Formats: sequence, structure tokens, C-alpha cells
Amino acid sequence: MRRASPLEATFDLFNSVLMLLIVIVMAYPFLFVLFYSVSDPSQVKPGLLLWPQGLNFSSYRVLLRNPVILNAAFISVARSVIGTVAMLAVTAAAAYGISKRNLIGVRFFRVFFTLTMYFSGGIIPTYLLIKTLGLTNSFAVYIVPNMVNVFNMILIRTYIEGIPPSLEESAIMVGANELQVFRYIIIPMSTPVLAAVGLFTFVNQWNAFIDVQLYNYMSPDLYPLQYVLYNFLMAQSQSVEQAKRSLNLSAITPQSLKTAITVITIIPVFLIYPVLQKYFVSGLMIGSVKE
Amino acid sequence: MRRIIRQRYLLLLVLPAFLLTLVFSYVPLTGWYIAFSDYKIGFSFLSGSWKGLHHFSSFFRQAGDALAIIRNTLAMNILSLVGGLLAAFVFSLLMKEVRNDRAKKSIQIITFFPYFMSWVILYSVIYSLFSTSTGAVNAFLVEHGFIAEGLNILGDKRYSWGLIVLVNIWNILGYNSVIFLASISNIPEELYEAASIDGAGRLQKAIYITIPYMMSTVLVLLIMNSGWILNSGLDQYFVFTNPTNRPTMEVFDMYIYRYGIKLMNYSYATAVGIIKTIVSLAILFLVNRLSKRLTSRSIL
Repeated sequence: MRRASPLEATFDLFNSVLMLLIVIVMAYPFLFVLFYSVSDPSQVKPGLLLWPQGLNFSSYRVLLRNPVILNAAFISVARSVIGTVAMLAVTAAAAYGISKRNLIGVRFFRVFFTLTMYFSGGIIPTYLLIKTLGLTNSFAVYIVPNMVNVFNMILIRTYIEGIPPSLEESAIMVGANELQVFRYIIIPMSTPVLAAVGLFTFVNQWNAFIDVQLYNYMSPDLYPLQYVLYNFLMAQSQSVEQAKRSLNLSAITPQSLKTAITVITIIPVFLIYPVLQKYFVSGLMIGSVKE
Repeated sequence: MRRIIRQRYLLLLVLPAFLLTLVFSYVPLTGWYIAFSDYKIGFSFLSGSWKGLHHFSSFFRQAGDALAIIRNTLAMNILSLVGGLLAAFVFSLLMKEVRNDRAKKSIQIITFFPYFMSWVILYSVIYSLFSTSTGAVNAFLVEHGFIAEGLNILGDKRYSWGLIVLVNIWNILGYNSVIFLASISNIPEELYEAASIDGAGRLQKAIYITIPYMMSTVLVLLIMNSGWILNSGLDQYFVFTNPTNRPTMEVFDMYIYRYGIKLMNYSYATAVGIIKTIVSLAILFLVNRLSKRLTSRSIL
């Protein structure tokens, strides 16, 4: 082992400082929002915060009692859970089907699904179709158009092809049909890949808001948290000010409410983040090793 | 026929996905017809009377529109792509030199976080730091006398491109660097050992081993992403575009959204969408040919 030269030692120091700066730039914006949301609005001076200024959870207390927020949280959870389960059921079933090389028209099916990754009808034709189908102003619009995810289908198919065929064959021998094989052999054997794509779908559903703007704009009952937050951010500060006065909330500023909703909206993703990051990194690694 | 009956269960498993894809991915393609007709909402896609290329030419006749949209889309997406890769490239090189494995892991976890946040949340966070009057950074700078009054970063059209590019670099740094770090970890250890024996320092190893090895990954990422340069994603621009910064912020998707959904000019907006798709496909094919020549690898 060579001793580090002064030049290298200088580099190491410089590198550590730079890394620290990068970490601060990445994390501080979120920390600021968190600090602000739990600060006492009367004590917060304009400018940066290194720590909450006087603890005060009144923004959270107000929000967690507000029926609009509670309903939005319910919609967010519902669309994320139902959307994930529905996507997994439909996409995994098809992935199992097209993993069979002897299936009638298997090549047609594969091309049929894969092609959709390269083109789309575009925003307007899709919008008009959804409208014609009567899916606007409904909860179903969050679920039904997202039930097939071709990228996930390919991932699941690749995984299923790695399962030893002998298991399946012996089940068929004792009289099981493919539905039972799928349910009792393929699904349990594919849990790692199903968990990974399920996690990503959950986050995508949780983060979605543009479909609300496009299709459910007229149905406030169907707004998820993301969209309520968006409306709150875009609202004129006067109307927020008015709402505040009518609710008699002198201790709360619009900015502390905004930051508190933001934190509430981040929390679920934050909670699953360690697992999410691990799955994602290993997935990316596998992908890049395969290249 | 007997095969169909024998495989009925398998076909049954594929059927739901098949029907859903048919309806939600293929049926909208027939909607392209409305770009050539005078479509009215409430009727079928094929009901309008034929108008030829009228809607297509009117996009270019409103010359200011077309020029600004194409310029904004290309500028912001190309700068974001190149900037994002460049930043992650340098970051990964420096990450490799971090010797403490636990520190390395923590840095990776923290830098990846913004990637999983929605654009509403990212906007909210940026708003709380950079809004003109209440933004913390602006307030901090004013308070310490660096600037006389807060910069209108989210509203002034001068800042649009810089804002989008920096936010994108911030958002994608963790994602890109995971790919780069994976390609670094694939470099055979013997190369570094041999270099050490020859007396190479860390700088020389980085210049003569790590960087050349990473170049192919850079090229692949650059090529793979360039096909989607016109598909900027509605989410991001939806939150950042406002009436005051629109001249430099509006991209294809937002323009289509504004004319189609807001102004209900469905035929015109669809025509613009088709122009976008055709140009995207042309870029994709061009880049694919270039990629075959440079790396003997096809992306299609």
C-alpha cells in the first residue's frame, strides 16, 4: 500500500467536501419543507432554516381533520392499492401466457404488446376515447387504462421463463389446468419480480396527477392528494387567506399549510423508499449487466 | 381448432390484456383521422368531413408558434439530457474515489430520492425555496444584501431554460449515476492492479481506465434517450408553465394540451401531435443509424 501523497490527501478532502455539498443540495430542499411545516409560523423569519423554529403541529392538526384532505388521502391510497393489484393481475396473467412458446399466435401477441412501447395515439385521441367510453369523472379512469404495462410484462415474462418447467409439467400431469398452475405455482414462484414491479406501480399511481387534470377535473370527490396539493399551490394567496380567516386559523400561514400537505404527500413514498431504492438499483444493475 | 380448445385457459389469461391494449393503445390511432377532418366532439372519430392537410399547414403558418415550440422543446430536452449525463458522469467518477463504503451507500440513497417524487411535490419544494417574495433562498439573498429584490425564477421567461435544466439534473442525478456506477463496477480489477504496478496514481487510472470504459455507456444512454427528445412528458411542464413564462417554457405537449383540451380545438391539436410523433420517429431512426455506425449496436 502506497502512502497517500499530499496531493492525494488534498484531493480526498476536496472530494469529501464536494460530496457533502451535493448531499446538501439533494436533501436540503426536502428538509426545509419539513422544518417549515413543523415550525411556529409566528417565529419563522423569512430565509433559510437550519432547524424548526419552535415546534407547532397546528397545520397538521387542521389538515388531518379536514374532510377534503381525508378524502384525498383515501383516494390516493385506493388508487395506488387497487391500481397495483389490478395491473399485476392482468399483466402477469398475459406475461405467463406469452411465455409459452407453443401458444397459438404467440409471436403475434408478443409483437402486438411490444409495439405499443414505440408509439401512442397521443394526448388528444386518448382523451377523446376516454370521454367516449364514459370513463371521465370516474374512479375507474385511474385503474382501467393502467392495467396493462408492457414494460412490466416483459420483465415478468423473462422471470417466468427462468422457472424450471418440471414443476409445471408435474402439476399438469396430476390434472391441474393452466389457471391453477398460474395461481398456485407461477404467482408464488414469481414474488420477487412481482414485488419489484408492484412497488414501482404503487409509486407511479401515488405520484400521478395529470390524469386527474385531464379526466376528473370536474369531480373534486375524486381528487387524490397530489392534485389537492397542486390546487393549493396554484391558488391565489388571497383565497387561501380568506379560507384561513373563515376557518379562524390565525396561527397558520398559507405557506405552513402548503409545506404540511407536501410532507403528508411525501410520507408514504418515504416510508417504502429504502426497499424501493434497493429493488430499483438491483433491477437497474441486472439490466445494465445484461446489455 | 383442437389446439384452441386445449389452450383455452392460456388464451383466457392473455385475453384481458389483449382487449385492454387493443382499446387503449390501438383504437386511439384511428383518432389520427380527426387531424384531417373537422371533428366535433360527441361524434365518432370518422364523422368529420375531409379537410386534407389544412390543420398541419396552419401550425406552420402561425410561424411564431411553431418556431417557439420547436425551439423550446429541443433546447430544454437536449440541454437536460446532456447536462444530466454530464453531471452524473463527473459525480460517478468522484463517487468511485470515496473510500468509505458506508458513506458511498448513504450518498447514493440520498441522491436517488428526488427521482421518486412527483412533479407536484418537486414544484412545491422548489416554490418554497424560490418563489419571489416568500421563497427562502430569495429571502436569504435579499436579507444579506446580495440582491435588491427576489428573483422571479418561476415566472420570468428569462429563467425558464436554466430552471428546467437544473431541476432535471437534480431529479435524474441519482438514476443516471446508478447506471454509471454499475458500468464502473464491471471494469476488470486486473486493469487497475496492472496500472498500480506500473506506478499509476488515481488520476491516471481515472483518465486511462475508468473514463474510456464509461464512454460506451455514455454513448448508449445518449442514443437511447435521444429518440424521445420531443416527448417531454406533460407532468413536468404542466407544473412549471404559467402565462408569464410561456413564450420560453411551452413545449409540444403543453401546446397540444392548451389547444386541444383547453381551447377544444381537437383536430388542430391532433395534427400537431402527429407532427411531433413523425419528427420523433425520424430522429429515432436517424440516431439508430448513427448508433449502428458508431457502436455497431441497434436500439430498435
